[in-house]
Amino acid sequence: MSKTAGGIEVEGTVVECLRNATFRVELENGHKVLAHISGKIRKNYIKILPYDRVLVELSPYDLNRGRIRFRYRS
Amino acid sequence: MNSAHITSSTDEHPVVITRVADSHWHALEDDRTVGRGEATRRPDGRIFLSIDSWHDLVFDRLAGVMLADLPTPLYTVVDEADLDLTSSWERAGFTTRRREWEYVVPTDPRVTGLDSVRPPSGVTIVAAGAAKLGPLRELDRAIRDEVESTVGWQEMPAEVLPRPHGITMPDLPKYAVAAQADQYVGLARVVMITRLPRIGIIAVRAGQQRGGIARALLAHVLGSLHSAGIDTASAEVNESNAAATALFDGIGARRASSSLELIRR
Repeated sequence: MSKTAGGIEVEGTVVECLRNATFRVELENGHKVLAHISGKIRKNYIKILPYDRVLVELSPYDLNRGRIRFRYRS
Repeated sequence: MNSAHITSSTDEHPVVITRVADSHWHALEDDRTVGRGEATRRPDGRIFLSIDSWHDLVFDRLAGVMLADLPTPLYTVVDEADLDLTSSWERAGFTTRRREWEYVVPTDPRVTGLDSVRPPSGVTIVAAGAAKLGPLRELDRAIRDEVESTVGWQEMPAEVLPRPHGITMPDLPKYAVAAQADQYVGLARVVMITRLPRIGIIAVRAGQQRGGIARALLAHVLGSLHSAGIDTASAEVNESNAAATALFDGIGARRASSSLELIRR
């Protein structure tokens, strides 16, 4: 877990692709959050699939929500 | 770079929008970043925007500053299922320019019906990694010229946009090609993205189209993936490309999602 100017960033694993372009991501501590993908990922047509390892920025307003900022290659 | 400070508020907290670099904007609330905007210029010269925020108001403020700073036309990409984001961009004056379907493509020849497909007479398929760089580069350049003189680059995937100074460097292991006599006439590009291979482009020289070469290339690349134990691939197809949508619809590929390219003129 790291804290950036934008908030808390945590690694996790995508466990489910939901409707409305959201994903359920299980964080390293077992907590599950609902996450959208970042505009940069969308702009670069990077696909997110179940079992992908991702970096999630948690919302400072709701720790059950986040934004996928990076998808790891393996 | 620090410019274009604008103050507004979410509830009682002030939000300051700052252009922190030539192509980056931040929204700060109590010294905390609550939104980011980015502009990216693609090789074809078009500028694509992205905005990440936790509140609609912050999105609107970022969009307002970015639009004031940048020349039109401007573009962005949204997942069509993301209704909130799509409406945010529509509030900023963006409208839909084109739709791209994402297909989930089966690789099993018994499902696709491609098991009996053979290349047209006189054409052979050269497997990925076995193509020669010189003729492949020549084909790549010829197809780019043909695209330029017809539909234009703006209908093409970002990954095949022309590079500066016309330099093209095809990555050999990603390309299967169709050869006729002593030249290449068609290509298919397949990239492994984590566990899901992506068919990035299938292209055939203008003079050889509608002869079954694209179908033979697709049969070859899907058959190779199936032999390697991979049961599905993905492909994005422009909705207005009737030949491509017919090709994928005809082999049992399923439309899983769609992306919208939005424009603000």
